[in-house]
Amino acid sequence: PAPLTQAFPLLSLPRKQPTVLVVCGPAQNGAIGLVCARHLRIFDYEPTIFYPKRSPDPLYRDFTTQCEKMDIPFLSYLPTEVQLINDAYNAVVDAVLGAEAELGEGRGPCAGILATLKLVRIPIVSLDVPSGWDVEAGSSSGISPDVLVSLTAPKQCARRFLGRQHFVAGRFVPYDVQKKFELNPPEYPGTECVVPL
Amino acid sequence: GPTGARSVPRQEEAQAIDQELFTEYKFSVDQLMELAGLSCATAIAKAYPPGSFTKSLPAVLVVCGPGNNGGDGLVCARHLKMFGYEPTVYYPKRPNKPLFEGLTTQCQKMDIPFLPEFPAEAALIDELYGLVVDAIFGFSFKGAVREPFGSILSTLEHITVPIASIDIPSGWDVEKGKADGLQPDMLISLTAPKKAAMHFTGRYHFLGGRFVPAALQKKYALNLPPYPGTDCVLQLT
Repeated sequence: PAPLTQAFPLLSLPRKQPTVLVVCGPAQNGAIGLVCARHLRIFDYEPTIFYPKRSPDPLYRDFTTQCEKMDIPFLSYLPTEVQLINDAYNAVVDAVLGAEAELGEGRGPCAGILATLKLVRIPIVSLDVPSGWDVEAGSSSGISPDVLVSLTAPKQCARRFLGRQHFVAGRFVPYDVQKKFELNPPEYPGTECVVPL
Repeated sequence: GPTGARSVPRQEEAQAIDQELFTEYKFSVDQLMELAGLSCATAIAKAYPPGSFTKSLPAVLVVCGPGNNGGDGLVCARHLKMFGYEPTVYYPKRPNKPLFEGLTTQCQKMDIPFLPEFPAEAALIDELYGLVVDAIFGFSFKGAVREPFGSILSTLEHITVPIASIDIPSGWDVEKGKADGLQPDMLISLTAPKKAAMHFTGRYHFLGGRFVPAALQKKYALNLPPYPGTDCVLQLT
């Protein structure tokens, strides 16, 4: 959530309420979205979650419970009328598909969601990989996020990112792993857990 | 600061809040321990930035006890390393549980040394380290202090470098404090300050553990002041 708060500080949001829609896919990327939503709530944003395919993983189910117990609403469906999304929220967190996704944007159960996200006019913050993009080649017709938060290290497709801000969240990577994979991360300022590239 | 009465949790209440986080909210110990340890490292970095150490290296000794407070210390040590400090851990009594084994491995793999024995004299600690993190006993502590921690605390009571205690200064009664015990320079209260914090006379009191949902804060009338922005710590004094 730190990149979202840096890119969209609470006081600067266009809508009266600091509403954010967090769209969570069925696997790890979606679970990260759930954790992000919880922290956004702690930071006094008003997140709403759309999580149509819930993972059976016990850890991820606990993340869901934590969000529910914190009174974060879960939408039962995503409006296909995109203007409703544009009007209700300041930004969308795209936590649908990550680097592990095998099917591209046009196929699979997330196709409908991605088709809607492609049409929203409010800023999109994508977690790790813009959902539906090929993790290496990117995408010429996929969603166009405003902000990309690369997790651990930028993926190859990040080179095709054309949005406003690109953050790396990978301060937890031990030095020997950084070296082994030649990650060469930038310096993180102070105690920040994210750094803009 | 907040208006209205703030409830300062007694030991049972602090334990009840924890229990509710685990059983009702389904937080895992791992999740909260990670956030707690990160808070501690962040608070330390704010009060004692690496550049402020008078010794050439920002060397920190992290003394970890046998329970969850020790676990918080291990997480803290790892984040201190990421923040540019040179932590060393002393961890004499290690629980046989995957959580603690994992945290120990993470520290070792990050080249954080684990001392085979505790420095024999206070003067040696003063010479080698610029700060000591007291992660020995937390808010569940009751009764007598068992060895080797009695001797460790005696030594720590004679060092001159600052001590940062996690949640409760070790050896203190969780509510009444301990006038002749450890006198830390910093206290990082986790979740909410406990009654013992009222006896704290050090320079820095931080609040950490920014994970208590609003409903729970209300239920226990914690009335915590707001954290600044997205910071995971709040400086109380």
